[in-house]
Amino acid sequence: MNAIRRRWALRPRAGRLERANYKWIYLFLLPTVIIFVLFYAVPIVQVFVTSFTRWDGFTSPEFNGLRNYINMFTNSAFLQALKNLFFWCLVAAVLHVGFGTLVAFVLFHKPRGWKLTRAVFMIPNVISAAAWAMIYRFIFNNDFGVLNTVIRFFDPDFNVQWFYQSPWAFWAVTLTWLFYAVIVTLIVLGDLMNIPMELGEAAKLDGATGWQFIRHIQLPLCRGAIGTSVICSLTARIAMYEQISLTTAGGPGNDTMSLSILLVNGILDYRYGYANAVGVVMFLIGLVILFVVNRLFRMDETDY
Amino acid sequence: MKKKLTALLLACFMLATLAACGGTSETESPAPAESGSPEESGSPAEVIEITIPSYKTGENVGAVFFEPQVERFNELYEGQYHITLESVPQDGFNDRLKQLAQQDMLPVLVQGGDVDWMANIAFPNGMAYDLSTWLDETPAVKDLLIDDGLAYCTNEDGTIYSLPLATVRPTGFFYNSALWNPSEDLSALSMDEFIELIDGQQIAFSTAENGWVAALFLTALIAAEDGGVEWLQSGVEAKITDFNNDIFINAVTKLQSLLQNNAASNSIGAAYADAANAFMSNQASIISNGPWMSADFAETNSANWSNGFNGADVRASLFPGQVGIATTSCFGEWWISASASEEEIELALAFLEFVYSPAELEAYLLAEGGDAPKLDYSEEFQAQQGETQVLADLAADTTEDTVFVPCILDMIPASVANSDFGRLLPSLADGTYSPAEFAEWMTDAAVAATAE
Repeated sequence: MNAIRRRWALRPRAGRLERANYKWIYLFLLPTVIIFVLFYAVPIVQVFVTSFTRWDGFTSPEFNGLRNYINMFTNSAFLQALKNLFFWCLVAAVLHVGFGTLVAFVLFHKPRGWKLTRAVFMIPNVISAAAWAMIYRFIFNNDFGVLNTVIRFFDPDFNVQWFYQSPWAFWAVTLTWLFYAVIVTLIVLGDLMNIPMELGEAAKLDGATGWQFIRHIQLPLCRGAIGTSVICSLTARIAMYEQISLTTAGGPGNDTMSLSILLVNGILDYRYGYANAVGVVMFLIGLVILFVVNRLFRMDETDY
Repeated sequence: MKKKLTALLLACFMLATLAACGGTSETESPAPAESGSPEESGSPAEVIEITIPSYKTGENVGAVFFEPQVERFNELYEGQYHITLESVPQDGFNDRLKQLAQQDMLPVLVQGGDVDWMANIAFPNGMAYDLSTWLDETPAVKDLLIDDGLAYCTNEDGTIYSLPLATVRPTGFFYNSALWNPSEDLSALSMDEFIELIDGQQIAFSTAENGWVAALFLTALIAAEDGGVEWLQSGVEAKITDFNNDIFINAVTKLQSLLQNNAASNSIGAAYADAANAFMSNQASIISNGPWMSADFAETNSANWSNGFNGADVRASLFPGQVGIATTSCFGEWWISASASEEEIELALAFLEFVYSPAELEAYLLAEGGDAPKLDYSEEFQAQQGETQVLADLAADTTEDTVFVPCILDMIPASVANSDFGRLLPSLADGTYSPAEFAEWMTDAAVAATAE
């Protein structure tokens, strides 16, 4: 008890001016708090609570304990969706973010035509995921798709239904988003541009090579941006829906099944409680990713 | 002090803005279009006006008949009633209705909807107006209703929420007589004889989306199995969740063989539009679909034909064994929102009576095909019906011996029909799954979809 009192005693007391400002600070925070409670906290709590109920979305939910979660974890489609998510996260963290970072480093050196490259790299990002999914259905079409037409120049008998055959479907869906990493590029490029010039000059004076400069100075100083990119990329994988729904719908079999497809299927069957249980799992996975990436990239530490 | 005052005013303004955004003041909310009253619409006071969200608008195949029908109604009741159509894409139509229902903003006249939702949510929760009294007072309509449909739509307490159908449109298949011209009466054959006859023919299948075209063929194959008709009909009362039986597995075995040996080259991953395109470009000689597809074979649609296809060459038939895919024990197309005002209900009932008038039913049958079993056709109608070859073919095949079976997609849980079935078809076609494995997958998906 004494220790607590001592700790309180040691805390610097807020000044009179500071205390007088508290009410204004709280007043200005109020709209944000109200918005957060109404549009974030309440729906999240609702999703959590109703995930333990049997609910058709119209009548009153009936508490059914862990039944939705038991159904979910005994469903092979759900387990496959988790497995797919794990692999997509791996691909996203390594290849997607890696590619975006690479492009950022290339653009940072402003090679000839870098502005055009940046603009071209940006274009796919302004096209909706749904539109891309439809475009890829044509690209991967077995009869007249660009990909198979090119391959048939070398192997006239080549026949692969990319979206409808195992194991190609998983990679076909992956390709619909893999190289569209402009957000990663912009975030990393922003951080690269903020690195003080003096650091580069000092490294040069010390005899650092180009690679050493990238490896020991630029990359570590960009880790916050790369971490942010990883979080954005992985959470996008959790929520990924259009690319799958409009191409494979989770098939063939459950090869490309995702949590979001299962959630929508739950709604189609008026099993809102089950759908919300899937939503809770998606939410928790998102939190875990946030926590792990934060720790891994030491994102709460400042560099300058 | 001045600073504080400015800050206080700013904070109050932000709060007021927030409150205004979240407010539910009835006076400030725009009136829902569905319940627009004469005053709101700016029409003369005596005109009752409503708006119906409908997918049968614009480029939708159903618009060809439905939009002029609404216009005919508006002309007939000019100065008294007026209906405006709100175009909603067919894909999202059922979801739109559910959203409107959740907001208590259902349109006065509701055009169908998700059957499960209607049966389990909308009707039990008092969202629909009871039509039973009106039907009793309007024998001109009631006498035309199909008995099975009337029995299905009549609840234990005598209430009727969905207006039962007066017409049935049995789905069979179309074939291109320029590519394949059999001399046999195809619907009189057995399924095995038919499969033997189509050896070497290309069939247009859709295996993406919900696999509609493949599902129709599978339904016919199931109906051809011993006990298949009863098995399909068992799904009317409770959705089918067990597919591990000989009826289904035998039918799927035949479907797999057709997918592997007779499917048009674009069938794997084909959406409905791809399947239709294969048929209308002479790449397939057979396609299963309902009589509404007859509009695609009219000369007015020739812009969509290619590769020498001619709509005049298309003939139609019911499936072997005189099987027509049609559900008569089902909800009808229309119901009325219980929250509609008396005036709006008056308009809605007038519209339903108009739609079910003999002249409109005959016009509908001429445009989209089918049969109104309890309607005495006019001579003019009978003469005109023969002018559209495919409709005449189907009408000739539809006799007292026709076996009506519901489509498999209507008899299984919604997510299995909309997603799982189509998702599994490519794996069946390429042999990844055996028919027994396909049945197991379907069972697992259906059980998961209905788990309490």
